[in-house]
Amino acid sequence: MTTLEIRDVSVIYKKLAAVSHISLHVSKGEIIGFIGADGAGKSSLIHAIAGVIQFEGEILYSGHSYHSPQEAEAIKPIMGLMPQGIGLVLYDTLSVMEHLEFFADLRGLTKDEKFYAYRKKLLHMSGLSDFTDRLAGNLSGGMMQKLSLICTLLHRPKLLILDEPTTGVDPLSRLELWEILDNIRKEEGTIIIVSTAYMQEAAKMDRIFLFDEGNIIAQGTSRALLNSIASYTYIATQDTTKNAITFDKRTYSLENLNAEHTQPTLEGLFFINALKNNKTLAPVTIEQRQTEKNIPEIVMQAKGISKYFGSFVANDHINMTLKRGEILGLLGANGAGKTTFIKMLLGLYKIDDGELKLLGKSIKSAQDRMTLKGKIGYVSQHFALYNDMTVKENLIYFANMHKIPLQTAMQRINTYAKELGFDKHMNDLPKELPLGVNQRFSIAAALLHEPVVLFLDEPTSGVDTLARAQFWQILHKLKEKWGISILITTHYMSEAEYCDKVVLLKRGKKIADDTVENLYKNNPNAKTFEDIFLAYFKAES
Amino acid sequence: MKINIIKAYMLKEFKELFRSRLIVMVYLMPSMILLLFGYGIKLDVSHARILILDYDQSKYSLQLASKFEHTKYFNAKSLHVSEQEALRMIKQAKEDAILIIPASFEKNLLQGKKSEVGVFVDTSFPTRGATIEAYIQGTIISAVQEIAKSLGIVQTGLIQIDNRNLFNQAMRDENAIVPGLIGLVLLIAPAILAALLIVKEKERGTIFNFYASPLSRGEFLFAKLFPAFLLHSVNIFILLLLTLYVFDVPFRGSFFLYWFASELYILISISIGMLISIITSRQIVAVVLTLIITIIPGFLYSGMLMPISSMDGASKIEAHIFPVMYYNHIIYDTFLIGQGLASQKILLYLGILCLYIFILFAIGVKLLKKEMK
Repeated sequence: MTTLEIRDVSVIYKKLAAVSHISLHVSKGEIIGFIGADGAGKSSLIHAIAGVIQFEGEILYSGHSYHSPQEAEAIKPIMGLMPQGIGLVLYDTLSVMEHLEFFADLRGLTKDEKFYAYRKKLLHMSGLSDFTDRLAGNLSGGMMQKLSLICTLLHRPKLLILDEPTTGVDPLSRLELWEILDNIRKEEGTIIIVSTAYMQEAAKMDRIFLFDEGNIIAQGTSRALLNSIASYTYIATQDTTKNAITFDKRTYSLENLNAEHTQPTLEGLFFINALKNNKTLAPVTIEQRQTEKNIPEIVMQAKGISKYFGSFVANDHINMTLKRGEILGLLGANGAGKTTFIKMLLGLYKIDDGELKLLGKSIKSAQDRMTLKGKIGYVSQHFALYNDMTVKENLIYFANMHKIPLQTAMQRINTYAKELGFDKHMNDLPKELPLGVNQRFSIAAALLHEPVVLFLDEPTSGVDTLARAQFWQILHKLKEKWGISILITTHYMSEAEYCDKVVLLKRGKKIADDTVENLYKNNPNAKTFEDIFLAYFKAES
Repeated sequence: MKINIIKAYMLKEFKELFRSRLIVMVYLMPSMILLLFGYGIKLDVSHARILILDYDQSKYSLQLASKFEHTKYFNAKSLHVSEQEALRMIKQAKEDAILIIPASFEKNLLQGKKSEVGVFVDTSFPTRGATIEAYIQGTIISAVQEIAKSLGIVQTGLIQIDNRNLFNQAMRDENAIVPGLIGLVLLIAPAILAALLIVKEKERGTIFNFYASPLSRGEFLFAKLFPAFLLHSVNIFILLLLTLYVFDVPFRGSFFLYWFASELYILISISIGMLISIITSRQIVAVVLTLIITIIPGFLYSGMLMPISSMDGASKIEAHIFPVMYYNHIIYDTFLIGQGLASQKILLYLGILCLYIFILFAIGVKLLKKEMK
């Protein structure tokens, strides 16, 4: 019986435990999933199992025990690893077929009839049969991930380890990736370990392990896990004690509440875990802004905006409208054109075609933007913070950039720090802080000059569930108190739920644009936003 | 050894090199460096601008002045200006030297009295200044001897120097510089390529293919470095041809020795690149580090600008640490001298080059980890 057993494994990274004392057991043909935020320890454990990092403890694969990468060499021939990152293991200048040749040679496969048949089957399964001559550098993100996967599958590994193979990949490709995995484990009896940042994918796994701060906080089938917290989950209610978390139409509480129970989500597991550790979401309060702003009804209007990079169309005639006090979610996979669009709005990229109106003003030149700079707030994908200045120094610097008098600036900084809950970290360096804290203080930096519109580029990427929940609370409070408009991009389809309106991009084209209610109304069979988007993606291709 | 896997890796390397146009750099850079530096470095002096102030205007003073004309060493000019004016011209970099012949020059000479001539030389560049000074002195001495002979005055000096230059009879800069440049180029270029080949995979993430595969560390290094070795082996011949036919440097030694020593030297360079790529994780860092580590010793301790034998103390020790000194000794022999393997020193130096390869590779295999940092 081929099994994988992990005994008391810890990975120490820069003197900190990335994962500590993990033990688990996997049987033949099982798909297990690691779920958690960036930095929760999923990747570290995956690297330890794959034998590419030093670790403490013992890992046993069908009788062979290893304690270090050196000892793991023996299982490398039957192991397949797909590390995190889109197209990470691909060579841009090699074609799809050349990749398959290279990986076959790398694994020392004999190229007989059986090999060619299997290769053909993999190409067919991944839908890459028609693209065998295309260079990897010219593939879409989804195709890259599928190519990486079939390259990893080529030698029929008995132990398949995939680190976030679906992150940033479009919903349709994700579905296809999972189909391939399901076939493989049925036909080959492969042990598959998959990590993911998408809770929705838990249903595809036989067992899931939830990671939080280097520990496994819950494990089991997704059904069992959901059942385990059913008694703590209520329909959202205001009538709570202090130890409760309300998010996404649900209230989680360890104590009995005077409310009806509802269907829990896997995200609830993280909330319940937090509650069990006596952690709750820090309450968010946003004060009225100091200056009264006159905001036009239509904050941003784009008509047929396009961006070309050579022959590549990054944005293809996009129409979009952002109204006053609206949260507009711009959704799409990696490379769909979300960031390009925001950069054009900000004037970081030249608009190649189309018309743009910001706050009622037609934007033709950089001059037109100058007067608007004070009204727009922007948080970039990787938070443009200075890592060698403390949080406070960063904020003062941003205040100076907007020419805010120091006294006003300090007052606002202190208010935001309290409101957004990072006042404890004012004198810390950003690089020493968790992503969630950096995210909140980046927002504060973008709010210092009290803008009327906020552009947020993937602010929730890699942030843990609790921080994300808190972040969305902040955005909703801002909208409520300030009447601010927010354009936010994300590749988490589930976050569409928290927006007022959603625009879905696919390879530079807009394929959906509607309010959240209408989208649900038009797709009565859809249970989640994932299903709705899948329908749009299928209709498009 | 898993020959097929190594072959697959190498095939992939070649495809990538050609498609990413990196191959252009592999062949353009070495020839460019050779041409740029070969033409650019000038150590000997020709056409030094000399201003002659002849206050005597006699037969012999004119004979002396004429000695500075019609020679490739000087561009002589006789002017009737004051000494102040002449000095001003040297300050404004219009002249390199001034020769002042006093009014009593011929009279003193005929009377057998001591005669003084004034020489002012711009020595802001000491070597150049010293060279000009020596030229002037030599020219004056030979002119005076000629005059003395024609007058029938007995030579006071009994020893006449019969000077013969060896190995670089024409004292051409090219002969002295260009072979040394080969030692510089073949130290830099293969090192950069080798460093890039491994760091590129680290930066991109494709290094995981190696981590997760059954390939051993030695096999991986071999597959990565052998293409660099093959490609740069061609450069050995390109550089030789450029040296012989563009710079007209003579070749007096054994071609086989040149070739063999150069291949050894490329291996050293490649292993330096390999070591750098093992300790760095970004391409840009690897390139800058390689340049610093190879160019400075490649220039200073090549024996090109100053002979190692004239160094002392720390610089002499440093020169012996870097491989360029040993290689250049062999290279200069093959071009200018031609002793070849008959020289004990060359045999010893070949041995040292081999030792370098062995040590660097051993460190590389030891340091390379098949795991993440």
